[in-house]
Amino acid sequence: MDKDSIRFSPAEQTALKRADSHKNPRRKSKRNPGRSMFIALYLAPALILYAVFVVWPLIQAFQFSMYRWSGLSNQSTMIGLDNFRALAHDDHFWNALKHNIWLEIVIGVLVVILSLVVAHALIAKGSSVKWLRGVILFPQMMSLIVVAILWMFIYNPQFGLLNAIFGALHMPGDQKTWLGKPDTALAAVGIAFAWYAVGFYAMLFAAGLSGIPAEVNEAAELDGAVGLQKFFKVTWANLWAMKRIVAVHLTITVLNVFVLVFIMTSGGPDRATDVLLTYLYERAFTDSNFGYATAIAVANFAVAMVLTLIILKAIGRDPTEARDFKRLKT
Amino acid sequence: MSSISKFQLSCKFLLPILVVIPMAISCAPGGGSTNSTSASELSGTEPAKGKIEVVAFKGGYGIDFYQQAAKDFQAKNSGVSVTVTGDPHVWEQLRPRMVAGDPPDLMYPGWGLDHWKLADEGQIYTLDKALDSPAYDGQGTWGSTFEPSILKLGQKDGKQYVLPYFFNLQGMWFDPGVFAKHGWKIPATFDGLLTLCNQIKAAGIAPLTFQGKYPYYLIENMIIPWIQDIGGIEAVNDLQNLTPGAWKSPAVLQAVTMIDTLNKQGDFLKGSVGLTHTEAQTAFLQGRAAMIPCGTWLHSEMSATMPPGAQMQYFLPPMVTGGKGDPSAIAISIEPWMIPTKAKNPGGGIAFFKYLTSLDEAKKFVIQKATLMSIKGSDQVQLPPTLVEPARLFHASKTIYSYIARQWYPAQETEIENALTSMLNQELTPRQFCDRAEAAADKTRNDATITKHHLS
Repeated sequence: MDKDSIRFSPAEQTALKRADSHKNPRRKSKRNPGRSMFIALYLAPALILYAVFVVWPLIQAFQFSMYRWSGLSNQSTMIGLDNFRALAHDDHFWNALKHNIWLEIVIGVLVVILSLVVAHALIAKGSSVKWLRGVILFPQMMSLIVVAILWMFIYNPQFGLLNAIFGALHMPGDQKTWLGKPDTALAAVGIAFAWYAVGFYAMLFAAGLSGIPAEVNEAAELDGAVGLQKFFKVTWANLWAMKRIVAVHLTITVLNVFVLVFIMTSGGPDRATDVLLTYLYERAFTDSNFGYATAIAVANFAVAMVLTLIILKAIGRDPTEARDFKRLKT
Repeated sequence: MSSISKFQLSCKFLLPILVVIPMAISCAPGGGSTNSTSASELSGTEPAKGKIEVVAFKGGYGIDFYQQAAKDFQAKNSGVSVTVTGDPHVWEQLRPRMVAGDPPDLMYPGWGLDHWKLADEGQIYTLDKALDSPAYDGQGTWGSTFEPSILKLGQKDGKQYVLPYFFNLQGMWFDPGVFAKHGWKIPATFDGLLTLCNQIKAAGIAPLTFQGKYPYYLIENMIIPWIQDIGGIEAVNDLQNLTPGAWKSPAVLQAVTMIDTLNKQGDFLKGSVGLTHTEAQTAFLQGRAAMIPCGTWLHSEMSATMPPGAQMQYFLPPMVTGGKGDPSAIAISIEPWMIPTKAKNPGGGIAFFKYLTSLDEAKKFVIQKATLMSIKGSDQVQLPPTLVEPARLFHASKTIYSYIARQWYPAQETEIENALTSMLNQELTPRQFCDRAEAAADKTRNDATITKHHLS
């Protein structure tokens, strides 16, 4: 319902005007052009750098994707959308995309669940929490290359920690070639990624949890909400802003996972762990087919865009803002 | 929060529009066409002068030798300044320089730059005329100082584009100390190898391991030599010449079946299919596997991490009884050097490489780096122990060949390597492997955008 059709008290109308003018700075700028110039001057350096180092290379990527180009000289042939037509019929591309989506869904959800659990531990009190806060970001401090090598040792079929544990427990899986078999390789790489990523997202969620007003939690408890019910009805709903940030950041990070896959499996065995960026690398640097590789990059960009938009749409608007507006109306 | 997100969202929607409009009016990356340009030739007699920039792949042999040679060359040629730089991923630096038209005067880009495509696009000089010029020490032509069988591996369509420096023999390795301790001997035939594998397993050691993450080690060091053993060099040439049906030939099927037999017999160290080259080679050196396929660079690559007492000796894959091939045949690979056509001082680059390939420098390289060189007579020195057998086999060989298809048709070879991994994981039979490899070759044959090569 349009808010203009509702009767508001003078105080509420003033509050609404204030909120509107805050939400739409363009109204103010019309009144004060000097202010716009002032803001533009401050924004200009960052915008210029962004345009030169982000937007322009992006435009070039779109441009190169329409050429047959080896990337070894400046000789190239304009082939229009041929690279994209070939991409549409390229089984290896769809196979890589399938792995990206699998990592997004399975490993993405795993990272979110583990991060939430760890985040709850991080905001608790006690000496062990201090220790946890100290170590939780350790994987983030390491280079991804080191993380990859570390997990390659863990998965080593001869002397790896994982097989040693399976062996000690007399469980099936002893002597398993985790990274060499197509049924386990992608999950093995995904778990290494989860180990690396959980600390960062746990910190974000911990910040979100700390931001939930104490009275909200107390009110929920007084109303008898406990355990998972309280988590889903109160905590999860109040993590709206952080959920959005985590979901978008995690989606893009998982989509751009390259180093781990490249070092741990090179996309193998038999493309069982190939993701868009490893396939892109192969076509660019092994096959000297930069035009086609750039088309893959464009596709990767499009996938990131689509996933981001879906997430933003799915998570929707701020429930607390909606609640404030509802209160004003009544 | 909400308004910021909306702003970000509208930017994301606007971005494609921002991208599409300039794209429609923009020009090609270089504005050129794919027509290959024929590179002009160098005489090879250009005097050494000015600044000479050399960029070299910093692999297992390092670049210290070239840097020292640069100092010596400067001392012998006044007014000349030679800089040698290198990196383990030097091709990543060279690629943008090639595109920008600012390459060095002499380069050894390593395995990461497709030098055949550089030749196709006229980015490197043909060197036939230079090879006809006098050698550094004046004894005959420069070309006559190279081993002919090695030199021809740098040719395409009868023209010399790249020059070899050191080269590698493909083959296999064992630890003579371990073999002597158990009384084992390297067998002459494949049947003998199967028997030996059973003996090794009985001693609690895995007979073989391989660099499973990079299946070309198995292809180039065992499968291709066995294809040559069974079907003769023609069978290998047919694969490289994309002859229809070559990957389904009886020779290929038998060679691949031999690998499958070893695999199903449990002769490979468990988990080898997931090992990197260093992991597999370490397993061999630690005595967890008795043999490993690898080129003659193995010693230099692993010398820093060799356990005390570990030894290694080179051997050719045991022959197939009744094969048509030459039992003395050896597959080799070269390390190519080249002169970019857009080099500022190409004559200087040639002059310095002539000096590097002089007999004295080549002999020094053999001693210091323990590898065979493409220069005739360079192994007439006190050879390091690991090089004695490769040198003997090389001189005894009547057939020297190279499996270059991996450089010519990388996408096809990746598919074949992937198929091999699946066969080793017992998801494909040898016949299915051959079908998949043939399909990959068929795709290359039918792709007009791929430049085809031919071996005579």
